[in-house]
Amino acid sequence: MSGIAVTLTQQDGTVVGIDDAQQSESLMEAARRAGVAGIVAECGGVCSCATCHVYVAEDWIGKVGEPDEVEDEMLDMVDHIRRPTSRLSCQIRLSDELDGLEAEVAPDL
Amino acid sequence: MASATTTEEQLIAEGTLLDPVVHKHPRQFYAAMRKLDPVHYDKSIDMWLVSRWEDIQEIQRDPITYSVNKGYHEQQAKGFAAEFQQILREKGGGYFPDAIMSDPPYHTRVRKLMENAFTAHRVKELEPRIEAEVNGLIDEIEDRGEMDAVKDFAQPLTIRIICEQLGLDWDIKEKIARWSIAVTAQIGRMQDRAEMLEHAEQICDLQHYIIGKMRERQADPREDMISDLVHAKEGDGEGSVLTFEEAVSLVRALLIAGNETTATALSNLVYILATQPDVLKKLQDSVDDDKLMNRFVEELLRIEPPVRALSRMTTKEVELGGTVLPEGAHLLLMYASANDEPEVFPEPREFDMERKNIIKHVSFGGGVHKCVGLALARMEIKVAARQLVRRLKNFRLAIAEDDIAFLPTVATRTMESLPVTFEKVA
Repeated sequence: MSGIAVTLTQQDGTVVGIDDAQQSESLMEAARRAGVAGIVAECGGVCSCATCHVYVAEDWIGKVGEPDEVEDEMLDMVDHIRRPTSRLSCQIRLSDELDGLEAEVAPDL
Repeated sequence: MASATTTEEQLIAEGTLLDPVVHKHPRQFYAAMRKLDPVHYDKSIDMWLVSRWEDIQEIQRDPITYSVNKGYHEQQAKGFAAEFQQILREKGGGYFPDAIMSDPPYHTRVRKLMENAFTAHRVKELEPRIEAEVNGLIDEIEDRGEMDAVKDFAQPLTIRIICEQLGLDWDIKEKIARWSIAVTAQIGRMQDRAEMLEHAEQICDLQHYIIGKMRERQADPREDMISDLVHAKEGDGEGSVLTFEEAVSLVRALLIAGNETTATALSNLVYILATQPDVLKKLQDSVDDDKLMNRFVEELLRIEPPVRALSRMTTKEVELGGTVLPEGAHLLLMYASANDEPEVFPEPREFDMERKNIIKHVSFGGGVHKCVGLALARMEIKVAARQLVRRLKNFRLAIAEDDIAFLPTVATRTMESLPVTFEKVA
């Protein structure tokens, strides 16, 4: 079946390839379905907990875009592990444009 | 009875959450549990107290072994369940079991349907309306120079905001307190038959009111949470919307759950402003810094969690933190203890807005049952803090700290009243 491909690198170095992600879902939802370690998404995907934090690969951050104000405030709560490429994966809506997206799961606090 | 000289061993052997001294100064008891008996059986309430952060995480990761549904429904209207349900069916428009007090997979669907009303982005849009409510209340008190932070500020503010958010009429404000007592009395508290009948009557009144509002919003949706819930939809087909019974139970739960917990958090806010001058100074210097204010709110919730414990029930025998729990064990997750654990939060009694793990507190619970209203709660507290600091100064307790009395409840740690003095910012 055709799907959007995304690759996530866990904190233990394991690389998880997902090839059936859908337009309708967020990167967090695709990662949860694939059981990616470290994507907890405790708040359910409403930008309120910072437990689905990823570092988007440099090459992709332009297409993925910057966090908005609400997400930026949440990311500030984890300031000491935040990077310029930090995003909450629940706020990244997948699309054909993001086919091939690569990101690294941020460490636990 | 526990006293200041009681050893940790004595506290574990004799202490109980119902001891008035433990109730007033629980932290020594929490520390003794964490050290000597982290999953401690409290025979006075027949519950296991889970005191460590990591053990609470383990419970929250496994909502099937540690059930919300089982404990809740066994407790509800204990001793009078059949009669209670019959009264609601006959006189209250129906018996509506609490849809959110359930386990996955049923819970997953209901939770998803609730979430859209509570996203952080949705809450951000509500900020100006919340600020208007806060300012309206400060207008009324600012020239007085003194107030009871509980009865003159925290409680009325919470009720105003709930009415505003849910889309309820302001004239029910007198009733909300009675309704809250009636609903919460059905869990974890002893009531005799006369009390049960009185509470059932209140719940009938509450249900008729919210059913009327829900019918209005079904026909004529507005910008409020009742409209969000009655029109919530995820996907297609069976189960893509809430049943009317589920929606009634959720509106009822939001009206009650958002009330006492948020009021307690707002009372705690004033307590910190009146007792931690260094924290107040930092806020005064940076009141327009949203990021600092967010960190203030998180640390306030960690250091003074409004809900100090919530319950679960085991669905099978299981080992937790070195203790074997039988099936049907009733647990209390002691959030206040976990937030106070020095191995997780160094110097836990220091109000430190720069903590790296500032959001690891468990004041909103965790796992699939994590508080659905957390973004709204954070926003209410932040806006209240910001406006109090902008408009008032020199907050002081008007009674001795040791004279602060707490409500006699296990689940929340709520001050009965908090008299403070203050001055208006010129």
